Amino acid sequence: MSANVNVNLLTPEFILAGMGLLVLSLDLVLPKARRGILPWIGVAGLIAAVATALIYRWDRVEELYGGVFIADRYSLFFFAFLVILGGAVMIASVDYVKQHIKFPGEYYGILIFSILGMVLMASAGELLTAYIAMELLSFSLYVLVALRKYDSKSNESAAKYILLGAFSSAIMLYGISMVWGVTGTTFYDGIAAHLTANPDLDIGLIVGLSLIVAGLGFKVAAVPFHMWAPDVYEGAPTPVTAYLAIGSKAAAFALILRLFSEGLLPAIEDWRVLIATLAAATMVLGNLVAIRQENIKRMLAYSSIGQVGYLLLGVASLGVVDAGGAVVFSERASTGIMVHLVGYAVANLAAFLVVAVVYSRTGSDQISDYRGLAKKSPYLSLVLSVALFSLAGLPFFAGFVTKFYLFTAGAEAGFLWLSGLAMVASLVSLYYYLRVIQRAYVDQPSEGDEETAVERSTFFVPLTSWLMLGVLFVGMILIGVWPTELAAAADSASDALGTVRDVSTALVR
Amino acid sequence: MTLENVLLVSSVLFAIGLYGALAKSNAIMILMSIEIMFNAVNIAAIAFSRFTVPAGLTDTPITVTQQAVQRALTGQMLSVFVITAAAAEVALGLALVIVVYRQRGTVDVTDLTEMSG
Amino acid sequence: MVEDYFRQYGLITVFAAIAMVVPISMLLMSWMATKIKVRPRRPTPVKLETYECGYGPVGGQWTFNARYYTFALLFVIFDVETVFLYPWASEFGVLSAQFGVFALLEVAVFGVILGIGWGYAWRKRALEWR
Repeated sequence: MSANVNVNLLTPEFILAGMGLLVLSLDLVLPKARRGILPWIGVAGLIAAVATALIYRWDRVEELYGGVFIADRYSLFFFAFLVILGGAVMIASVDYVKQHIKFPGEYYGILIFSILGMVLMASAGELLTAYIAMELLSFSLYVLVALRKYDSKSNESAAKYILLGAFSSAIMLYGISMVWGVTGTTFYDGIAAHLTANPDLDIGLIVGLSLIVAGLGFKVAAVPFHMWAPDVYEGAPTPVTAYLAIGSKAAAFALILRLFSEGLLPAIEDWRVLIATLAAATMVLGNLVAIRQENIKRMLAYSSIGQVGYLLLGVASLGVVDAGGAVVFSERASTGIMVHLVGYAVANLAAFLVVAVVYSRTGSDQISDYRGLAKKSPYLSLVLSVALFSLAGLPFFAGFVTKFYLFTAGAEAGFLWLSGLAMVASLVSLYYYLRVIQRAYVDQPSEGDEETAVERSTFFVPLTSWLMLGVLFVGMILIGVWPTELAAAADSASDALGTVRDVSTALVR
Repeated sequence: MTLENVLLVSSVLFAIGLYGALAKSNAIMILMSIEIMFNAVNIAAIAFSRFTVPAGLTDTPITVTQQAVQRALTGQMLSVFVITAAAAEVALGLALVIVVYRQRGTVDVTDLTEMSG
Repeated sequence: MVEDYFRQYGLITVFAAIAMVVPISMLLMSWMATKIKVRPRRPTPVKLETYECGYGPVGGQWTFNARYYTFALLFVIFDVETVFLYPWASEFGVLSAQFGVFALLEVAVFGVILGIGWGYAWRKRALEWR
């Protein structure tokens, strides 16, 4: 509440918000024919925001409003990652939007708002702010899912999404109010102080924290809170599905990582088994159900549920209790989560972009329709195969390295069985990914077969999608063979989580 | 009136909302039940802020520390934000339900079965 | 004085209790009458119908005019704006002493954002009764 609040710290966020409003209102005044520039204005804004953040916040560790907003390396890592990711989704969706979505201004404007929500989730140091940021993201996603207004699948999935999303945020809010009532603070470090001072958990606190975990579980689609995900992923416009699977998950894990390592770490003994159980259930169920999916978007939805299981394994191993009984923050686990998020994001975006391009040409999302893709477009099927191999975690591709980081951290924290299970689950996932690749490369039409949708259509890949796929392809290989820079960045972000910040500017709490 | 009583009201309201959200099949009813859950949160937050008045604000003369003020105000801020979020959530939810209604002539969620598996 | 205040609430409680007890006991008596075979139970479709002023009920579901909702939604957004404006307005003296003109500008920004939303609705012709 001091008068000299350094509002300049928020400049990148202001740029994002201004950009969102600008794109939305430009859409109202521009003639229809010139709305094609909207995404490029948006991308320019995102680049400006990232540049400002990198320059201004590079070595800055500061808190705003007494710790409500935290600017450190961790926030910066996720700012850069999430905004670049949002920009990539934006570029990747240019062709799709042109063809299938009647409201380009709304699409790009709301996409920028959702990016703002994501970056705020990563830098929020307090439950209420984190909640509001998450709602900004969720509301934007509800609208984005529903943007194909005249497509009944899009409507249906949006209605399901908002009903379950609102339900989960009500549950999470009740948890927040319980935690606040018991601990008297909503700040993560305040909660940590309370947990350190009172090792025996109050019943209200247990209820509150479980409700918060349930609410977050809904947002990341962890089993048993995953029911909405496949339907919503299938019905949403494909670029939005990609965004849902990557962006909203990455942001939710940014929030979870900060909350669990800065707030709940002292009580790790009480929740690590719970999270590990969730992780095991999630990776097993996600990967098993994915096997029998016929729709590729649905298959990728279940596979991304499986990926959440791997990430939760990292969360469960965030801390280890040393010989003296003190809880030590495991930087390896948080680095593993961040690295895996990046690798997963690149591979998944590539896979979904291929699905979007194929859908634009053929109007079909069925796996059986992918026969002949290798002949029609070798480029698309190459990128798709690499993306799927990377998701499965084969060597030389991003997924192998990132999973290696993550599973090692899990094994180190004592979850050897869970890391083993994760490896088995990865093998299972390889099976259903290979089915798609087999369909695209190996399968030949036998006598009397009808032509598949791919074989019927003429194929060309629009330039923006082509370039974006190329960038993602290079990214997957690059992370796979040379992950040191990424790991170093994630390491320094983990350092920021592990250290106690200088709170001289903070309020007494 | 004690903290326990108000929290009891809040938890009963929350349970009613939870039941409604899970048991009803009319989408509008579900939205209303969710609204009840949000209001249960509001009541709990306000109750905590009213009844767990931090030391300092109960003394006479009142010694206002920043910590005490923050402690007392967080609950009220929480409920203000919850009111806003709930309004936005329900506005959006109703809009989407209306879109579905226009297309299919039903707001029954058990009829939303175009995708499954 | 405080006792008086609570006594009045006590009266309300008594009324509420009576209001609950009377219908519940009526239902209970009717149910018991069925149990001891005083009141026979022979349901017919007409008997089981919802009572609606003597006529057969018309229309299975309630219907609504979707146009009302557009206005209701817009109303709610600006209605909730007040939730933020009120605390700001009541503390404006303190705020402007501490932050100067910044206190006013901040809310102006808030207003502008909502204004853009309103302009959007106008431009999209959501404000016309079609």
